[in-house]
Amino acid sequence: MNKEFKQELESIFRDITVNITDDVTPVIAAAKPQILAILRFLKDKGYGHLAMISCVDWLKEAQFELVYLVSAYLKGDNEEPGQEKITILLKTRIDRDNAELPTAIPVFENAEPYEREIHELFGIHFTGHPRLLPLFLEREYKIPPFRKDFDSREYVKEVFDKIPFVEDKE
Amino acid sequence: MRELELYFGPQHMGMVGNFSITLKVEGDRILQAISNPGYLHRGFEKLMEYRTWIQNFPIVCRMNVVEPDSMEMIYAMGVEKLAGLEVPERAHYLRSVYLELARVGSHLFGLWAYSNMLGFDTVAQWAMYHRDLVLDLFEELTGGRVYHIYIWPGGVRRDFPKGFKDKIVSALHSIGGCVPDYNNTFFENRLFYDRAKGIGKISQKEAMELGAAGQVLRATGMKYDIRKIQPYAAYDKVDWEVPIREEGDAYSRILVIRDEMIESVHMIFKLLDVMPEGPVYHRIPNPFKWTIPRGDAYVRIESSRGELGLYLVSDGGDKPYRAHFRTPSYPHGLIILERLLKGASVADVGNIMISLYVVAPEIDR
Amino acid sequence: MKKGNIFSPFKAIRHLFRKPKTLKYPFEPKEPARRYRGFHLNDWDACTGCGNCADICPNGAIIMVEIPEIKPEPGKKNQRPKLDYGRCCFCGLCVDICPPGALSLTGDYFHIHFDTKTFSFIPGDEKSDPEHFVDPQNYSLLKASLSHRKKNFPGFSPDIEYALFEPERVPMPQVEPEERSLSFIEQVLGYSEKEARAEAARCLECKLCEEACPAHLKISDYIKAIYLGEPEESLRKIYEDNPIPAICGRICMKHCEAACSLSVRGEALSIRWLKRFVADTVRDYQKALQQKPAPSTGKKLAIIGAGPGGLSMAYFSALKGHHVTVFDSLPGGGGMLRVGPPLYRLPIEAIDKDVNYIKSLGVEFRFNATVGKNISFGDILKQYDAVYLGIGMTMSRSTKVRNSEKCILALNFLERNKIREKVNVGKKVVVIGGGNVAMDVARESIRLQHIQHPGEEVVTSAVSLEDWDIMPANKEEIEEAKEEGIRFNPAWGPKDVLLDDKGNIRGLLCMKVKRVFDDAGRFSPTFYEDQEMILEADTIIEAIGQASDFSFIPKEMFDQLKFTPRRKIQVDEYGMTSLPGVFAGGDIVNTNLDAVTAIADAKIATEGVDHYLSAIPIS
Ligand SMILES: Cc1cc2nc3c(=O)[nH]c(=O)nc-3n(C[C@H](O)[C@H](O)[C@H](O)COP(=O)(O)OP(=O)(O)OC[C@H]3O[C@@H](n4cnc5c(N)ncnc54)[C@H](O)[C@@H]3O)c2cc1C
Repeated sequence: MNKEFKQELESIFRDITVNITDDVTPVIAAAKPQILAILRFLKDKGYGHLAMISCVDWLKEAQFELVYLVSAYLKGDNEEPGQEKITILLKTRIDRDNAELPTAIPVFENAEPYEREIHELFGIHFTGHPRLLPLFLEREYKIPPFRKDFDSREYVKEVFDKIPFVEDKE
Repeated sequence: MRELELYFGPQHMGMVGNFSITLKVEGDRILQAISNPGYLHRGFEKLMEYRTWIQNFPIVCRMNVVEPDSMEMIYAMGVEKLAGLEVPERAHYLRSVYLELARVGSHLFGLWAYSNMLGFDTVAQWAMYHRDLVLDLFEELTGGRVYHIYIWPGGVRRDFPKGFKDKIVSALHSIGGCVPDYNNTFFENRLFYDRAKGIGKISQKEAMELGAAGQVLRATGMKYDIRKIQPYAAYDKVDWEVPIREEGDAYSRILVIRDEMIESVHMIFKLLDVMPEGPVYHRIPNPFKWTIPRGDAYVRIESSRGELGLYLVSDGGDKPYRAHFRTPSYPHGLIILERLLKGASVADVGNIMISLYVVAPEIDR
Repeated sequence: MKKGNIFSPFKAIRHLFRKPKTLKYPFEPKEPARRYRGFHLNDWDACTGCGNCADICPNGAIIMVEIPEIKPEPGKKNQRPKLDYGRCCFCGLCVDICPPGALSLTGDYFHIHFDTKTFSFIPGDEKSDPEHFVDPQNYSLLKASLSHRKKNFPGFSPDIEYALFEPERVPMPQVEPEERSLSFIEQVLGYSEKEARAEAARCLECKLCEEACPAHLKISDYIKAIYLGEPEESLRKIYEDNPIPAICGRICMKHCEAACSLSVRGEALSIRWLKRFVADTVRDYQKALQQKPAPSTGKKLAIIGAGPGGLSMAYFSALKGHHVTVFDSLPGGGGMLRVGPPLYRLPIEAIDKDVNYIKSLGVEFRFNATVGKNISFGDILKQYDAVYLGIGMTMSRSTKVRNSEKCILALNFLERNKIREKVNVGKKVVVIGGGNVAMDVARESIRLQHIQHPGEEVVTSAVSLEDWDIMPANKEEIEEAKEEGIRFNPAWGPKDVLLDDKGNIRGLLCMKVKRVFDDAGRFSPTFYEDQEMILEADTIIEAIGQASDFSFIPKEMFDQLKFTPRRKIQVDEYGMTSLPGVFAGGDIVNTNLDAVTAIADAKIATEGVDHYLSAIPIS
């Protein structure tokens, strides 16, 4: 990722920071409303592979951080050399209380299961997502289980400690 | 004809692993397929937030039972990147050899699954036997057959035992020597050819659109292999080829797998030849006091199924703040499978699913 | 890819005639690999009970259980790990963290039982658990279980190269022997902050050291504070149990390091030097510690002797609000440590830093005041509510061989060199003794020789009754002395000091030692009368032991003072002697004869004095 690209990004999008700490994983931080536009821009620039969408719960700051990891596929002969080595981390922070975000499916179709998973595990709503159904879990949880305030150890104690040990049954 | 809803798996002869698909069918045509993961959701990523950096090392491998080794590698790489650890030169070679052995073992397992599902029992038995030879090597090297717990941050856990190189060579010779038989009985067998040719076809464009990687993408003609694109371990130290096919169907995918296995065998021989001597482990900090500065890292490798990534976050503490794995089976099993099954015949469900080389535990994590 | 012929699969038909690859299990079992990660094996003799295995286990499969049959000793707890195979994932992290390398995994992996309790068990080995380990010829797979295991069935075993702890110390910067033997500059230079943090990072926090330390310092806490870059916090932790860190950080006998679990297969954590780092780094103790004595109790305590014991007593008692006065015949604090350990080991500034802090708490010091000369013991008893004796052993013993009065006594030699003008030594010095004091003397002697006879050939030799294997001095002291050029003559005993016609020392006549101790282990040397040797000498220094000077205690009182069979003052659990209101500790009470034990004694006596004083009315 080079300087020009950084400048181009910064000239097109207001209020974004582009941080090139190492050659292969530049970080773009942007506000929620711009995310889709930036994703589309990156896709047009050849970063056509959404590797995944991740989510981090920054409990102390009362924010969720969504991280879109996009990289490039190989494009045959007219390749911009080195682009395929790069995975861009596009980050945005949203309020924990108002955890809502537009879906990225219009840009990247494979965002679908990632968003579904984040919805299930973190309780973030993706507007426009066609099926925000549970993906992995079968029980209902009071707090979405991957949030930091969900204490798995507590949960295990509550749920499983009530089941007597085999030895104690007799 | 009447529309039916059909539950395919998790208990089904054609289903490998704990996974199920809900099919809407009309006759034997599939109108819609819905993947149902979750049978193996153990919440590893959450568990990892409760364990120290080193305590996670024996756990990550359990996310993928067929090929745990890539999981160890990606975790070690993530920690090394975040903490700025160094890895000795020889360890890079050992890691590559080890990961290629894992690829061979995993592909043999895939071969078993595919041939077994289609009723080629003899081939399946051979594949299992040959996979066992690889597991014997792992047992010799690491002390475990299935979960090897070998690559850890800072290098690998032990050097090769005495005479190990020879054992690798002889095991690989016996696997390689059987390739003509595999060809005759399976890959070039008319019965198999007719069963797999043209099934589950996907174009390169669609594969890219849906986030494919690994064999699924390489079978459509793209030499997309992280080992080449962004070499890690010792993959840039020897010459090797990325096998591809153009057709994008189940048959070409299994051939890519076969060719890759053969390429891996060759690569291991080359690596063994040029492997330097020296230490294989750079000691990590005291595990009871080890904290990693605040920050995040994304690392990716080519597991035997495709692009395996790890997004690892530290808040400066002694445990990961967040670990999120991008597993290759995730897009393959959750989107591409649903797409390819649409319009296919019920008899081909297992066929397509296994040709996508999906392992369920990797999706659920 | 060509479409294969429909008959091509039959080419593989030859496989039909091959020997099957499958095993006839269980008649033909598969041997596990040499590194197999099966059930645990624990060498109980090597196991220190440190519990690191339990701490590292990612699954909480290990708990430490107390084994009443094992007697705990310094560096060994009587706890052993108990495994729960319902939880164990056989990763072997416990093997790689085990400091003594006691824990390993084996080739055993069978256990079938209806009773789930049997899956929890305390692993031992063939020695500690012989009935459950059987010979290979009696071993049967059909019976294989946790109580039917094969002998000599090794699996994944510890390897120090891959251990999860750092076995090697951060090296301490020191002045090289060639250079340091030319002067009295301090030999050990001390850790930099970076080095100290790196060394502190090695601590596994198993706390074996804390049990071994006579004064039970909270070692793992203060080490952790150093690791976190908080030397002031570390100092506060140290002062909870030890008020002389600059001193102890240099000369402590470090019982802790002997017990350190890292020392079994590597080098002990450098606990002493880390304490020194803290004491040297924190410039202003007062600011860092922010201590305030309790409100005055109005009670008066007299302490005789400003050694480590007396100083500690003064510190702890002052904090409790008692009025404390310390008497010492020396011009400054530190007791024997002020005059004994040479400048290259313990400079006066370090001592004064500690003493001055204690002074700042309101303790009154009366230096150059010898009890029995400047003030009588009787007066002290009258003027004070309680008395603490920390008078140590201040008189050197002599060999009493013929002409020994011509020799110099060790303590005189050391004291003059340290706080008065230096002794003139000859070019051939012989030191009699093999203990730490003798090492101090010999190493001072060679320095003086280099200063006083520059460029000339000089020799300092040491003569000791004990042979190398039983020489009482610390190994490192002996090593450093050798490096500086001291010549050792172990297993020789002095017979005569030889004089020339002018009455000056000419040499030492020695006899070969047969045995030092008798069958009962008592000190009673015997010699080969016919094997003699003459060591040429112009100066001879005797360093064979010290004794206490009780002459200031009036006879009728001394007669009431009770002693132990080993000629130590007898004290009760509060540190009180047989004289009411008179407490004692340090070298006159314990047999360790070192600073940290004197501190430990003082901690006990502090409680004793406090109880005693609170029971008497304010005078
Ligand atoms: C050469 C040498 C080296 C040593 N090196 C070490 C070492 O490296 N590490 C270690 O831990 N220990 C060392 N020791 C031992 C250590 O010095 C003693 O164990 C320790 O000092 C004992 O402390 P204490 O409180 O019992 O009294 P001491 O330190 O012996 O102090 C007694 C004090 O009482 C004073 N005193 C005695 N009688 C009277 C009186 N009547 N009136 C007034 N004052 C009086 C003396 O002047 C002296 O200052 C060494 C000892 C010697 C001799």
